[in-house]
Amino acid sequence: MLRYSARRTAHAVVVLFGVSVIVFIMLHLLPGSPARALLGPRATPAKVAAFNQQYGYNKPLFIQYFTWLWQMLQGNLGFSVKLNENVTTAIASRLPGTALLVGLANLFAFVIAVPVGLMQAARRNRFFDYVATGLAFVFYSMPAFWLGLLLVILFSEQLHLLPPIVPQASFGQLLTHPGDIALPVITLTLITTALFSRYMRSSALENLPLDYVRTARAKGMGGQQVLWRHVLRNAAGPLITLVGLTLPVVVSGAILVESIFNYPGMGLLFWNAAQSEDYPTILGVTLVVGVATVVGSFIADVLYAIVDPRVRLS
Amino acid sequence: MTDVNEQLAEISPLNGLHGEEGAAGGRRLLAAARTFAHNRLGLAGVLIVLLMIGFCFIGPLIYHTNQVYTNLNQVHLAPSLAHPLGTDPLGYDELGRLMVGGRASLEVALAASVIATGFGALWGAISGYIGGLADTVMMRAVDAMLSVPPLLIVLFLATIYRPNVPVLIIVVALVAWLIPSRLVRGEALRLRTLEYVQAVRVIGGSHWRAISRHVLPNSIGTMAVNVTFQVADAILLVAAMGYLGLGIPAPGTDWGSMLSSGIDYIYSGYWWLIYPPGIAIVVTVVAFNFIGDALRDAFEVRLRER
Amino acid sequence: MKTEHRAGRVMAGCLAIAASLVLAACTTSSATSAGTSTRSGAIVRGGTAVFAESAGAPPNYIFPLDALQYFNTSDINQFQFLMWRPLYWFGNGTNIVLNTRLSMANPPTYSQHDQVVTITLKHWAWSDGKPVTVRDLLFWLNLLRANREDWGEYVPGYFPDDVTKVTTSGAYSLTLHLSTSVNPTWFTFNELSQLEPIPQHAWDKTSASGAVGNFDQAAAGARAVYKFLNSQSLDLATYASNPLWQVVDGPWRLSQFSADGYAVFVPNKNYSGPVKAHLAKFVEQPFTSESAEYSDLRSGALTYGYIPVTDIAQRSAIAASGYTVNPWYLWSMNIIPVNLHNPTAGPIFSQAYIRQAMQRMINEPQYVKAILSGYGILDYGPVPNGPPNRYIAPQVMAHPLAYDPKAANALLTQHGWTMGSNGTRVCTQPGSASNDCGPSIARGAPLAFNLLYSSGSVAVDAEMRAFKSALAGAGITLNLSQAPAGTVYGTAVTCSASQASCKWEMAYWGNGWEFSPDNYPSGEVAFSTGAVGNFGSYSNRQMDQLVNETTTTSGLSAFFRWEQYTAQQVPMLFMPLMPYQVSAISASLHGTVPQPADGLSLTPESWYFTR
Repeated sequence: MLRYSARRTAHAVVVLFGVSVIVFIMLHLLPGSPARALLGPRATPAKVAAFNQQYGYNKPLFIQYFTWLWQMLQGNLGFSVKLNENVTTAIASRLPGTALLVGLANLFAFVIAVPVGLMQAARRNRFFDYVATGLAFVFYSMPAFWLGLLLVILFSEQLHLLPPIVPQASFGQLLTHPGDIALPVITLTLITTALFSRYMRSSALENLPLDYVRTARAKGMGGQQVLWRHVLRNAAGPLITLVGLTLPVVVSGAILVESIFNYPGMGLLFWNAAQSEDYPTILGVTLVVGVATVVGSFIADVLYAIVDPRVRLS
Repeated sequence: MTDVNEQLAEISPLNGLHGEEGAAGGRRLLAAARTFAHNRLGLAGVLIVLLMIGFCFIGPLIYHTNQVYTNLNQVHLAPSLAHPLGTDPLGYDELGRLMVGGRASLEVALAASVIATGFGALWGAISGYIGGLADTVMMRAVDAMLSVPPLLIVLFLATIYRPNVPVLIIVVALVAWLIPSRLVRGEALRLRTLEYVQAVRVIGGSHWRAISRHVLPNSIGTMAVNVTFQVADAILLVAAMGYLGLGIPAPGTDWGSMLSSGIDYIYSGYWWLIYPPGIAIVVTVVAFNFIGDALRDAFEVRLRER
Repeated sequence: MKTEHRAGRVMAGCLAIAASLVLAACTTSSATSAGTSTRSGAIVRGGTAVFAESAGAPPNYIFPLDALQYFNTSDINQFQFLMWRPLYWFGNGTNIVLNTRLSMANPPTYSQHDQVVTITLKHWAWSDGKPVTVRDLLFWLNLLRANREDWGEYVPGYFPDDVTKVTTSGAYSLTLHLSTSVNPTWFTFNELSQLEPIPQHAWDKTSASGAVGNFDQAAAGARAVYKFLNSQSLDLATYASNPLWQVVDGPWRLSQFSADGYAVFVPNKNYSGPVKAHLAKFVEQPFTSESAEYSDLRSGALTYGYIPVTDIAQRSAIAASGYTVNPWYLWSMNIIPVNLHNPTAGPIFSQAYIRQAMQRMINEPQYVKAILSGYGILDYGPVPNGPPNRYIAPQVMAHPLAYDPKAANALLTQHGWTMGSNGTRVCTQPGSASNDCGPSIARGAPLAFNLLYSSGSVAVDAEMRAFKSALAGAGITLNLSQAPAGTVYGTAVTCSASQASCKWEMAYWGNGWEFSPDNYPSGEVAFSTGAVGNFGSYSNRQMDQLVNETTTTSGLSAFFRWEQYTAQQVPMLFMPLMPYQVSAISASLHGTVPQPADGLSLTPESWYFTR
């Protein structure tokens, strides 16, 4: 277990470096010099020079990278002129919102997809299987904003049950008003469930229950017991990895969902920054999300190893 | 949204074996084609895709509309005989707009997927085949890029390089090549340990020959399946970009931009601006997913029988 | 393929398509339900009014000496002015006048051939009881002088450069000695309008723990004070708690603020002005998008909101639910600057007939009807047809260069531009004679231009695409591209032909050029040689002369002469005015209309609820 964790940690660290290099490349793709792009077109030459000094932009690329990386590691993600805020502060205030949205969506998707998938396996080719497969197909093929739009029309326009967008709120207010965030959570949950279901349909997991079912039944176990004790335990592992692997995709979906519903998270922050060419914020969010994804994957991998010992040995 | 099935297929302990090569590969393709032909949904998917391509590319030749000059005298008209799907806020015929938008969406999706799968396969094949440090570096680079949500990278690039069709193709391909590279690399890892591949080296063949003659052809199945799913995902990604305002610039359009513009008027009741592009996206993506599923079944069955 | 799955797949397929269609079909949009009815009644003291901030433009700078990057008129007018009033207040409803009642000083008196201005302060007080004196004005002036490069309004040669000497007499009288004689209306409206007293007794310090002193009287000290106050202003989280910002002379003070722009104001009990607040609280609600704001409006959460351009068709439904719909026009002109210094396009733009031909292809009434849904004001010259004002010349009001494709085409043909095979006209008669293209225009040069316009506005996008279509009818090809508004402002700058910044050809941002705080719409801001708003570097001796007459001689005849000349010359192309917003005001809230045309200013102290 220790060896496995060490290997995964080393892997994660290397990938983190990779993410930082990607963001650094993005920084240098910006039109004009990084200083001009980050400080805005109205920056005075004095400010530009000071900026270059602090970030070492007048030095060779290699040194630039480490100077920049050192700033990032200290938590200095830059200053956004458009927001008149430190990027770190802006992200810190929005991060809990996105974490809540993505966390809830993953949780609900897990809770829905696992039993549904097992039921599909158990009641193969019956009505339940067809309906579940069909629905998964529908939701998987829809763009997030289209799904969100239809849900808004249905629940907000027609039934007047839920608000069409999240009212301007702080994170605390989000927690105390679940009705306000219901639609964005539902939308992202449906998409994530469809994502998970697609995996459940593939042969890997479908075979799994069969083998175990056969063995367990041969040993004399009852149907329900088999399902919940053996199959669930063995299905959980790949699903945990699935959560880790799909994290970037779910966060992408979260960006769309946040902009549709005006949900105060990092996705909306990124989207507004993209619209107003607020590069410090764009780069800051990319870095933070990349890091969060790597960490999330890592945790998923370790959990998978705890649940399924076979993985450690491979 | 990337296809996670492929990602998991490579780590699942129940992966099938791929052991064919050379002339037997041709037989395999034939058998796969036959299996595909029996899959009704796959055929339906092919039919829908062909119809959609016909609608978007040949349609404008039959149904002439002006899609270049605005006509402010006929904005927001409801569907009628003259305009079967009404007109949009600038007076363009909406049905004609749907064809124009579909053309751009499909062009970008198809081109980007083919380029991405081709490049990704090459990257993965080389990485898996060579192994060692080169493999580690190449695959960690892929992992790093996979950790950043694709939409972030795509939006960032689109704010710098004002989009048109070629730019969109490159931008979409940039995030799409990662999965094929992982898949093909998995194949390459398995293959290079096989005797007949090692035999190539023994008789004096180059690494390149081994890759091009054995690794890549054996991955055709995987690549074919992957391309199809990539197209489906690319259509969604292009639609997302269009929805967020970074799609094809005027007077061109794409389905996502049409949907975005239509949603602005959601409360005004101009339903003909909203439902046609949305349904077009869903139908096309579903069709490609059908095809992809059918292809995967076709190739997997062949392999499993071995 | 496994047979047991085939049926499942078929079902899946049917479900996939059908479910999507069913879900879509059973949803249709509906109008808002009819809301409360209102009847006029007694004034209610108290109540909370919720005002919708402009989408995507929340206030984020509190110190009222705004540096260029923070210079944001909605921040100044709808946030800062609530707490710190400028010395002189302009506008009385839609009338563009000096509002003596709401000003903190008596009208200025000019003497010595209009070269000396005397200002007498009324006896107002700060919220902590201390009187507002000339020391506070001097504090402002000193900070300004030492940090003028940092001030967003600064124009070299103008305020405060044109002030040679300042003297005071007692605590309430200040005299400015100017470098030249000025037109009193112009100087009052455009220069004195920028004066703003700030509390010297509370703010004249260089650190939070330091003592208040007279640091501003030396240049180095003034810079240190500015730096300190600016740094305090960068800490958004402390806006409501920092004691500095609680010393106000306006009718409101800030009681709550969050970084996203959410602000709660409560009345300043010690406000000395004539209009005391009736409301108990005034809330400003930020929104990141117009659709978010509209959603809140429809749900009844806003007292004073707006209807986005794309939803104007819903105005009757909104009105039926208890709102008054009233477009808010600003005193401004809407322009498309063209760059006369661009290396290739410049010589073409320098020809007046080219600009006139392009202006003739702008069908303003049609844009107002089809794109702005009727909420637009025609503008054919430097002064628009509305809001009603005394500055619009009758000749300009008669639309001299209205939409006329035939005339436009004729102008181009007469000057040697022939239609090419791809629909673009090219110059077939180069030269400087009266029927030639014009000097420095090569044979075969095409009439093709690049136009950059601001993204994020449906109306601006539609207007530009319609304009491009229209110009094609005259053989002019327009290549459009979009960028965020800030980028467009930063691109359309005055430049000389050799500079890299001179690559732009045409630009449009949609909200035009506001006559604020320069409320007298004279040409020295945008049309004379070297003017700050003369983005295209238009330079014409006759124009300069006419402009000079408007700033030095009083009366309207000189003004009309200049105005007519400008409308005929079209140094920049003119577009119809768009409203700043189409406001939707709760029917139970009064004192809000007419909405002030002079700037975006808010005066919620004059609002009140009725039962």
